[in-house]
Amino acid sequence: MRREDIAVPDDDHRLAAGCAAGDPLVFEDIYRRFGGRLKSIAFNHLGNPSDAEDAVQETLLKAHRSASSYSGASSFSTWLHRILINTCYDLMRKRKRRPEESPIDDAPAAIGRTAVAVDETKRIALRRLIDRLPEQRRTVFTLFEIEGLSHSEIGEILNITEGNSKWILFATKKDLQKQWKASL
Amino acid sequence: MTIRCEQIDDLLLEGDPFSMAEAVKHAESCPTCHETLAAWNDIAATARTMTAEWQSDMLLPRVQHLLREKTSHAQRSRLWQIAAAIILTISIAATSWYAVRLGSHDARFDEDILRVAVLDEVEQAEKSHVEAIERLERIAAPTLEHSDAALMVSYKEKLLLLDDAIAECEAGIAQNRQNAFLRKQLLAMYSEKQDTLRQIVREGRDATRR
Repeated sequence: MRREDIAVPDDDHRLAAGCAAGDPLVFEDIYRRFGGRLKSIAFNHLGNPSDAEDAVQETLLKAHRSASSYSGASSFSTWLHRILINTCYDLMRKRKRRPEESPIDDAPAAIGRTAVAVDETKRIALRRLIDRLPEQRRTVFTLFEIEGLSHSEIGEILNITEGNSKWILFATKKDLQKQWKASL
Repeated sequence: MTIRCEQIDDLLLEGDPFSMAEAVKHAESCPTCHETLAAWNDIAATARTMTAEWQSDMLLPRVQHLLREKTSHAQRSRLWQIAAAIILTISIAATSWYAVRLGSHDARFDEDILRVAVLDEVEQAEKSHVEAIERLERIAAPTLEHSDAALMVSYKEKLLLLDDAIAECEAGIAQNRQNAFLRKQLLAMYSEKQDTLRQIVREGRDATRR
């Protein structure tokens, strides 16, 4: 679990208030704390850095617009991730309607990876398999396997139970596992 | 605990370290499950390397610029809303004032019509009165012309004075038809003239009898 996941409620309210007021320093703080993960999640949903940055930008603007209604029922981080996921879904649907736009990058040159020990071929293969997954399965897989979130966090973000998140991940991996050898 | 092949999915579903250790233990003696588990772990291991990181120096400044624009736009639109509200209030007030004024103008117009009608009625009555007095004057004229008695001379002077006063009063009324005071004065003068003429006629009749 990363540092941003342990935000205290008071801090969450401070972030929400600053976000609603459009305080540039608070946005800098939010970006510093959550920006990296938001970009990574968006990239693993949309497949290219440009769309991912657009999604993060849109997410932060949406957060500014709706921060005044943030109740504190979930952590600020969860709330922000929920906005991001919905923004990614919107962009994915838009892209489906206009398939000529924003192709998926197989191996974007500027993208750094946390570990280079794994064969790049495997990454490309897995990316292609992930891109074919339905929205929710793609999100659960991305958040759990790539971003390392827990099932309880995923459940909160997607508004599903922890057990359901576990089941979706299992079913997704089962499907991927069947195609894995053939895709390499 | 002995795990059977049918149970490996349950262990993978659980996914916790204990279940995964049991699955590994079973896979060591089962080539099919070994293959399944290998692919399972390979996918997980590959996924863990797919966290994307890249430098995007312009993203935060872009967001902050858009936020500033949005904030100033919101302020501008708030100002516009206030201006629009003021204009609307002024328009409503002006329309209401005009409507009230139009209404009062109509009322005054109606009032004027009524006043003119009443004046016409008064003037008509005055005209009849004057005609009646003129008839009386014609009857009294021979008595006045043919008598040199001191009383008749005094009646003549009174009538001349009254005629001057009547002429002056009528000139004033011609300038302001609605001057009720002058009209009352005029009526009083006509009544006085009428009484004087009546007395002249009576004096003439008495003189004839004598």
